[in-house]
Amino acid sequence: MRYLRRLLTKCIGFVRNGRAEAELNREISAHLVLMEDDYRQKGMSSGDARVAARHNYGNVEQAKQSHRDERTILWLEQLVQDIRYTMRQFRNSPGFAITIVLTIALGIGANTAIFTLMHSILLKSLPVTDPKSLYRIGDIYTDCCLTNGLENSNGDFDIFSWENYRQVRASTPEFEQLAAMQAGKQLLSVRRGANQAQSRPGEFVSGNYFSTFGVPAFAGRMFTDADDQAAAQPVVVMSYQTWQADYAGDPSVVGATFYLQSQPMTVVGIAAPEFYGDRISANPPAFWVPLADEPLLNGTNSVLHQPIACWLYLLGRVRPGVAIDPLQQKISANLRQWLSIQPDYQGHGFPPLISKVHVVLAPGGAGIERLQQETNKKLYLLLSISILVLLVACANVANLMLARGMKRRAETSVRMALGSARSRLIRQMLTESVLLGCLGGVAGLAVAYAGTRTILALAFPDALHSAIHATPSQSVLGFAFLLSLATGMVFGSVPAWITSHADPADALRGATRSTGDRASLPQKWMIVLQAAFALVLLMGAGLLTRSLLYMEHQDFGLQTTDRYVLHFDPLGGGYLPEEKLAALYRRLELQLTAIPGMQSVGLAMYSPLDGDHWTDGITLPGQPQPGPNDDTDALLDRVSPHYLEAIGQTLIRGRGFTNSDNEHAPFVAIVNEAFVRKFFPREDPIGRRFGLYEREDLGAYEIVGIVANAKYTHPHEDAKAMVFEPLAQWQHNLKDPIFISLEGQTHIVGAVAMNYRGAQQNLEQAARRTLAEIDPNLAIINLRSLDFQLAANFSQERLIARLTTLFGLLALVLTSVGLYGTIAYQTTQRTREIGLRMAFGADRTRVIGMVMRGTLAQFVFGVALGIPISLVGGRLVESQLYLVKSYDPWSLAVAILALAAAVAFAGFVPAHRAASIDPMRALRNE
Amino acid sequence: MTSEEDEPLQLLQGTLDLIVLRTLSAMGAQHAYQIATRLHQVSQNHLNLNQGTLYPALVRLEQYGWIKGTWGRTESNREAKFYSITKAGEKALNKETLRWRRMAGLVDRLLVEDFPS
Repeated sequence: MRYLRRLLTKCIGFVRNGRAEAELNREISAHLVLMEDDYRQKGMSSGDARVAARHNYGNVEQAKQSHRDERTILWLEQLVQDIRYTMRQFRNSPGFAITIVLTIALGIGANTAIFTLMHSILLKSLPVTDPKSLYRIGDIYTDCCLTNGLENSNGDFDIFSWENYRQVRASTPEFEQLAAMQAGKQLLSVRRGANQAQSRPGEFVSGNYFSTFGVPAFAGRMFTDADDQAAAQPVVVMSYQTWQADYAGDPSVVGATFYLQSQPMTVVGIAAPEFYGDRISANPPAFWVPLADEPLLNGTNSVLHQPIACWLYLLGRVRPGVAIDPLQQKISANLRQWLSIQPDYQGHGFPPLISKVHVVLAPGGAGIERLQQETNKKLYLLLSISILVLLVACANVANLMLARGMKRRAETSVRMALGSARSRLIRQMLTESVLLGCLGGVAGLAVAYAGTRTILALAFPDALHSAIHATPSQSVLGFAFLLSLATGMVFGSVPAWITSHADPADALRGATRSTGDRASLPQKWMIVLQAAFALVLLMGAGLLTRSLLYMEHQDFGLQTTDRYVLHFDPLGGGYLPEEKLAALYRRLELQLTAIPGMQSVGLAMYSPLDGDHWTDGITLPGQPQPGPNDDTDALLDRVSPHYLEAIGQTLIRGRGFTNSDNEHAPFVAIVNEAFVRKFFPREDPIGRRFGLYEREDLGAYEIVGIVANAKYTHPHEDAKAMVFEPLAQWQHNLKDPIFISLEGQTHIVGAVAMNYRGAQQNLEQAARRTLAEIDPNLAIINLRSLDFQLAANFSQERLIARLTTLFGLLALVLTSVGLYGTIAYQTTQRTREIGLRMAFGADRTRVIGMVMRGTLAQFVFGVALGIPISLVGGRLVESQLYLVKSYDPWSLAVAILALAAAVAFAGFVPAHRAASIDPMRALRNE
Repeated sequence: MTSEEDEPLQLLQGTLDLIVLRTLSAMGAQHAYQIATRLHQVSQNHLNLNQGTLYPALVRLEQYGWIKGTWGRTESNREAKFYSITKAGEKALNKETLRWRRMAGLVDRLLVEDFPS
């Protein structure tokens, strides 16, 4: 009770401190007067009495202080004092405070931005019920997004056919729910009423998809297994974001009929707002469609009933208490057993592979983690870069604080001499640095927010309703705050400690007189560290920038001037049989060619580096059937006659396709140089024959031309062996239903290459009009210049290279500022010494040289420390580099030169100023 | 031995509060100088007490609500702050005196007791 009462009084006293202080003064003077009276009565003279009273009373200030200590909540009182004092200091030198806050803001901002990104991509669970009990059957993502059979030869199974899914689901009661979802993403042509169709991403999922994840409907209902039946009414679920963005949250959407690929389907519900699908993605699905409706939308290209077409990922909720390892064994065994009795797995070289088949169950709380696997290396790279920046920033701040602590040494010494406790001094400086850290942290959050937005926009340029958000989450906020606090403590403690050990007498002797000081060594080390980290960052920037330049300016094997690529879905207007498809292509080609300024138009399954490709196994007549481990792969692209010209790929030998290479003419093919090297290294390939479908079409195609290599799949890799075949030629003699289906799929065009002279907007308008004329269901997915399409492959590399360069320059500036501050401080300390030297005849160059020599030593140490770190760092990023070695001497040389220039500049300015000292004034000056 | 007995004593932690309370209880309202002088007399100069040392104790006791300070005039018509003990203070004094006695008795017993080896 009494303690409570006391605390209360203290709190009141805290507010009314001035009154208590006045009261105390009054009481003490009254006390002294009484004592004086007493002594006078005892016979002292009034002067003696006063002295005796003071003497016997003891130290008045100490008494006052102990009164205060007792009276108030001490730490709070002191904290307020410290903060007031700090604010006063900031006001006195705003430049210093602003520099420090900005430095921390940039360091923390960069870190928070990167951490926000990492958090939202790598560390986040799906926003679903109990993500911990979700498991995926399969732990890799090698086979995407549609494979036939057992492509992954080491047997680690990760992608399933529909039949296979049903079998696993039926035979594994350990899963409370097991859902299947499309591995890839399909763009659907979506139309409501008479509007022009739009292309929107869709995903085929099993009926129990939403109940597996526990995702409720925002409006309407989610579909169920009952909707996932061939006989059921076709339904879809729309994502909340699409509902908001495309239909402004119109409530009539629920229950309305939409046309997807021209098929009427009912939107039964809107998914919960936070649900973005089963994976983090920049373009999450706008529609979820039951698996059973896949044949409806894809016609004969449907893969649902294809026995070996694997296109589904499996993710389910394991029942509580089920052990994962035995379950894994069980599913693997069942899978082998099932595969061995499937008729379609008896041929095609599958049987020897089946014994190796197994599955690994992986935690599925984060859903399908393909993006995570693709970006985690880059994100960790960004994170390590930003940590380096933070270290440089911290060193810089520590340095500035240190220099300032030294400047304030006289003041500190006076305070020590007057009886300030060392702990109190340290606490004051810590308060100052924590306050700076917090201010920097707040400013850093703003930097982080803006930074994350910019990074996201640059990394995923075509994002639509991205599931990756720029909003710093609460944990990021906490992270930033802890970081700023820790930074404050770290850089606060060093200067505080050093200053508190200052010898008062030494400092009081005169600020410009000291020759050696304790601060200079740690300060120098800070500079050395900063220089080393700056070098590492600059080296990294050099490596990544050079690698990016090599990537961007590599020879893609294409003439890109005036080249444009349009992506669209010919089946947006619904499924078309062979003849109608051919007619559509002819019409498209004709009408596009008629656009004024059009030089040539070519249709193709896919175009260079647009993210799509098709691989087939090549069989050569007269050679044995290849084994399962033989690499006979080649890329296949079916193209219209003018495609090569339209995309700018050069024919080296033989002839290109013409209109007479049609369904009645013999089958012909054009191959690239890589194909020749792979399959006909020692022969003339012109006139040679090959087939695509094992023994069924042996030697069906005759090679009539050879084109130069062009990159289609991956910009980092060499061009792969590739075959071009005429779009107009179909094989009709195939027997295996798999081959028939594959042949059909290769006749679906996805890209139109155009060589067009004129403005891109005009082309876009004309192309849009043309497509709408042919069929309003045909939606343009995109129309980009070929240059843009190629460059889009490097947006993440470009982002990282630019960020690293930015961070490197930032580190360079910070290092220069730190160095400048230190040298300026040191030369001020040595003003007298320099003055003396000059009085004894040293000229200006000599003084400058003397100062610069100190700088040089720090630079040399910094470089010596930085080079090995750079080399190790280079090794770590090696996998991200293209045609650049991790120890690239050019990058290193440029980095060292840049650092040298910055260091020289930062050292020369104060050196020059020191050399301009008038010796007489320097000597007189105290 | 004599020199040691003459050496000033340091007050034990917390005893100053008790002494001040007791003084105020026995002598009525007193100002700080009176209290200090009184302590000096009673201890026969053995208690080494700076006048300033009293203030923290006074503040503490006032904050507990055990004493109350009011400004008044001395016989010589000087102004001074007179402290008087409150009802809560009397209660606390009783309690603290008891506690002190028990404590002192315990320490005494421990010091007097023979420890058989």
